[in-house]
Amino acid sequence: MDPSEVEFIAEKELVSIVPNFTNSEVHLISGDVGPFRAGLPVNVPIWMALNLRQRQKCRIIAPDWLDVEKLEALKEEEKSNRFFTKMPSEHYMVVAQLLLSAVDDDIPRVEEIRMAVKDLWDVRISKLRSSVDTFIKTGGSHARLDYLTTMEINSVRPLLPHALDFIDRLQKASEGASRRDMASQD
Amino acid sequence: MSLCQSYVPNYFSIQDILATQEKVPCKFEMQVKHLGFLDPGSDKRDIEIGTSIELPLWMASVLNSQRPSIAEVGLPKIFKEAYRDIMKADPCVVDLHKLAQYFYEFGMCLCMLKHRESSEISSVLVESFKQRFRQILDWAQHSTIEVPESKKLDETEKMIYHMGREVGSSLYLWLTEGGSLITAADMVIQHKKMKLTQKDLLH
Repeated sequence: MDPSEVEFIAEKELVSIVPNFTNSEVHLISGDVGPFRAGLPVNVPIWMALNLRQRQKCRIIAPDWLDVEKLEALKEEEKSNRFFTKMPSEHYMVVAQLLLSAVDDDIPRVEEIRMAVKDLWDVRISKLRSSVDTFIKTGGSHARLDYLTTMEINSVRPLLPHALDFIDRLQKASEGASRRDMASQD
Repeated sequence: MSLCQSYVPNYFSIQDILATQEKVPCKFEMQVKHLGFLDPGSDKRDIEIGTSIELPLWMASVLNSQRPSIAEVGLPKIFKEAYRDIMKADPCVVDLHKLAQYFYEFGMCLCMLKHRESSEISSVLVESFKQRFRQILDWAQHSTIEVPESKKLDETEKMIYHMGREVGSSLYLWLTEGGSLITAADMVIQHKKMKLTQKDLLH
């Protein structure tokens, strides 16, 4: 998948906004959104929030994890843990990217948050890379992908599946060869 | 979203044809009439018993599979024990592009022949790829430009590397510049075109 396709999927995540207009419920395929009351927070999908924000019709309230201290804490936990830790959102990277690029003035300390998210991403990606490497070297046949987000999984595709397919072919050839060896010795 | 299948050799695959084109040393165990032209070193009409010639693998495997076999297939340099030991010691530094462009595919085809060292060869193949994979992964994900060392890769490794690099650079683009417009898959566009032409034909 292309990263923009993952982004498209992630845009279905909900985020809260404070609208400055009043409107009745909006019926969408994914569910109803609203009703909108000026000044009262309401949950909407990210794509809608971004659109409303572009037209100056709302203020986006950042999710509470999008905060320098919380992200630093997550990063420390991620570093100390051998396995992947649970992220506050299935698409934390995309959500952060989208919200931070769209709303400069709604969220304080944007640059610091951006850095913190990037650090967290780097820590997780390097962990993913080293675990993929051990997985290949030890010849594992299955792996748990707990708490890996879509974008992270997407970053090793199609490299990893193709490499695994190839190793499988090599191993099948090797099994065939040793079986023939056994047969010829008998 | 495109389905992207991993490479499997097939009848029409150029890579497979090129891989079986690599030469192996063969020693004839039978006299073969009228095939003297295969041996560039002699101008006789027939191939005598005991002649050693380098033949492409596809030909060697046919000569070897007859019973009794017409020619005995030897090992090419890269799969001899000395080179196998090098591959075992540190596969990451070996320049496979120079030594054998189709190291894995060729090796697998060679293992199909009933050779007494084929199980050792195949285990070297598996282990080398496992060790070399880390490099490929790092190169593919780390740089937006082509790594000069990637020229040392075998053709199959190269294929995996290029695929990984494409993903790596699109991810990098997304991280730095944000999302781009999603375009329709090629298949959908083709399908629409086909529908249009069909309509035109009907009217």
